[in-house]
Amino acid sequence: MLLQVENLEVKYGNIQALHGISFHVNEGEIVTLIGANGAGKTTSLYSITRLPPPEAPRVIGGDIKFRGESILKTRPSDVVRKLHLALSPEGRRIFGNLSVMENLKLATYSRAKNADLDHEYERIFELFPRLKERRNQRSESLSGGEQQMLAVGRALMTGCKLLLLDEPSMGLAPVLKYELFRKLKQLNEEGMTILLVEQNANLALHLAHRGYVLDTGNIAAAGTSEELLGNPEVKKAYLGG
Amino acid sequence: MDFIIQNVLNALQWGSFYALIALGYTLVYGVLRLINFAHGDIFMVGAYIAFFVSGFLLGPVIGLSPAMAFAVTVPLTMALTSLVGVTLERIAYRPLRRKGAHRLYVVITALMCGLILEYSNLAVLGASRLKFPELIEKQIWHLGGVTLTNLKVLVIATAIVVFLFLQWVVTRTRVGMAMRAISYDKFAIPLMGIPSDNIIVFTFILGSGFAGLAGLLFAMSYPVLEPFMGMLIGWKAFIAAVVGGIGDIKGAFVGGFLLGFIEVGVVTVFPSTYRDLFAFTILLLILWMKPTGLFGMPQSTKI
Repeated sequence: MLLQVENLEVKYGNIQALHGISFHVNEGEIVTLIGANGAGKTTSLYSITRLPPPEAPRVIGGDIKFRGESILKTRPSDVVRKLHLALSPEGRRIFGNLSVMENLKLATYSRAKNADLDHEYERIFELFPRLKERRNQRSESLSGGEQQMLAVGRALMTGCKLLLLDEPSMGLAPVLKYELFRKLKQLNEEGMTILLVEQNANLALHLAHRGYVLDTGNIAAAGTSEELLGNPEVKKAYLGG
Repeated sequence: MDFIIQNVLNALQWGSFYALIALGYTLVYGVLRLINFAHGDIFMVGAYIAFFVSGFLLGPVIGLSPAMAFAVTVPLTMALTSLVGVTLERIAYRPLRRKGAHRLYVVITALMCGLILEYSNLAVLGASRLKFPELIEKQIWHLGGVTLTNLKVLVIATAIVVFLFLQWVVTRTRVGMAMRAISYDKFAIPLMGIPSDNIIVFTFILGSGFAGLAGLLFAMSYPVLEPFMGMLIGWKAFIAAVVGGIGDIKGAFVGGFLLGFIEVGVVTVFPSTYRDLFAFTILLLILWMKPTGLFGMPQSTKI
C-alpha cells in the first residue's frame, strides 16, 4: 500500500471537518474521492500535503502513512521533497507572474542537479503540447484549461510518485475536461499513481479504478468504480439519478 | 557645465546610498508583503559593525594595513549585518507569521525592532558620536572644474554592481524565481518542495547584507556615527522604494537615484533648508499621479 489514511480526524479552527475516515491508495492505481461541496475532500488532501501554519488543518486523531510510515510529523516541503507526493491544488494556484517554463523550473527546486530534467520537460510538453507553444508566456495569460495543464505539469516536475489532484475539471469546458482526463489515464498507464478529488463524480469514476464517497466528513460508500457506478444510492445522490 | 557634472556626481552618490537601502525594503516587501521599518536601523547597525570590525583589524592585535582592513571589512560587515537582519526575522517576524498575525501587527513589530536597535545602541555605547577610521586613502581627481574622489566612484560603482547582481539573482536563478513566486502565492510554495522560510531568510540576507555595505560606505564617506543615523535616511530610502514601485528592484534603484537628483537639484537652486520639503513634495506629486509607483503594478488582492 502506497498511501494509507487511518481513522483520520481533522479540525479546521473549531470545526471538525473529518470524523475518522479511512482510505488507501495502492501503487499504480487511480483512486478517487467524490462528494459534495464541504464533504471534506480538499481537507483530506491538505491533511496529506499540509500547509504551513496557521492555515494547516489540524489532525486530532488517526494517522496518515506513506509506504507504511507515519508522515504527520513531516514538514510540508519535505512531503514533496523526500516522499515525492505532489498536489495540484484546487484553483490551480500557478504562479501567474512567472512564465510557463519558470513555473515548471521552479517545481524542480528541490531536485538533484544532475537529474535528467530536459527529458522530463519534453515529456510534459508531449503530454500538453499547448504548454510548449506558450512556454515563454506569462502564465497569468493562459486560458483556464491551459492553466490546469500547467498545474498538473508543475506537480509532475517535482518528480512525484503519487499525484494528488484537487478538482482538476473545475471551470473547464467539457472538451477540455475529457482531454485532460485522457491525459491523466495516459499518465497512469505510464506508471503514475493518482489520487483524484472530484465533484464531477461521473467523470471521476469513469477514470478511476476505485473510489470513496465522502459525506460531511465520513466515508459513505467505497468500492470499485463499477460498484459505485452501479450503487443506487450513489447514483441518486451524485450521478444525477 | 562643470557645475552641472559636479552636481550630477553628487546626486549619483546620494542616490546610490538611497538605492542600496531601498532595495532591502523592496526585497522584503516583495516576499512577505511586510514593510520592514527596522531596515534603516539595520543600515545604522551595519555602519557600527564596520566601525568595530575595521577598528579591530587596524588595531594592535591584528594590525592590518588600511587597504587590507578594508578588503576584509567589506565581506565581514555584510555577513554580520545579514546575521542581525536574519535574527530579527527569526525572533520577531517569524513567530508572528506562525501565529497568523495581521500584517499591521508585524509592521508595528518592525517599527519597534528599529527603535530597540537605536536605543540599545544608545544604552550600550552612549550618546557620543564615533569617528570612523580612514580605510582607503582619499584621492581627489580634478577633471577641469569637476572634483572626483575615489570614494565617490566606489559608492556609485557599488550601487550599479549590486543592481546588476540582484537583477541576475531574481531573473536567472531558481531562488530568485522562488522569491518572485512567493510574492504571488505563498501558499503554493511548499507544494513545490520549497521551504518558504529558506526563501525568506535568503531575502533578509540579501537586504541586510547590502544595507551593511551601504552603512560601511556611508561611514567612509561621512565618518561620524550616531545611533539615529539610520532613521531619516531609512525613511527616505523607504519613500524612494515606494515611489519606484515597492516590490520591484528596478523601482528601488530608480526611486533612490531620483531622490538623490531631486535633493541635489533643490539645493543648487534653493537654500539647503528647503531640501527635504521640496524633495518630499515632489515625491508626493509623483505618487499622486501614479499611486503604484513608477514601476509598480496595481496590487491584485489574491486569496
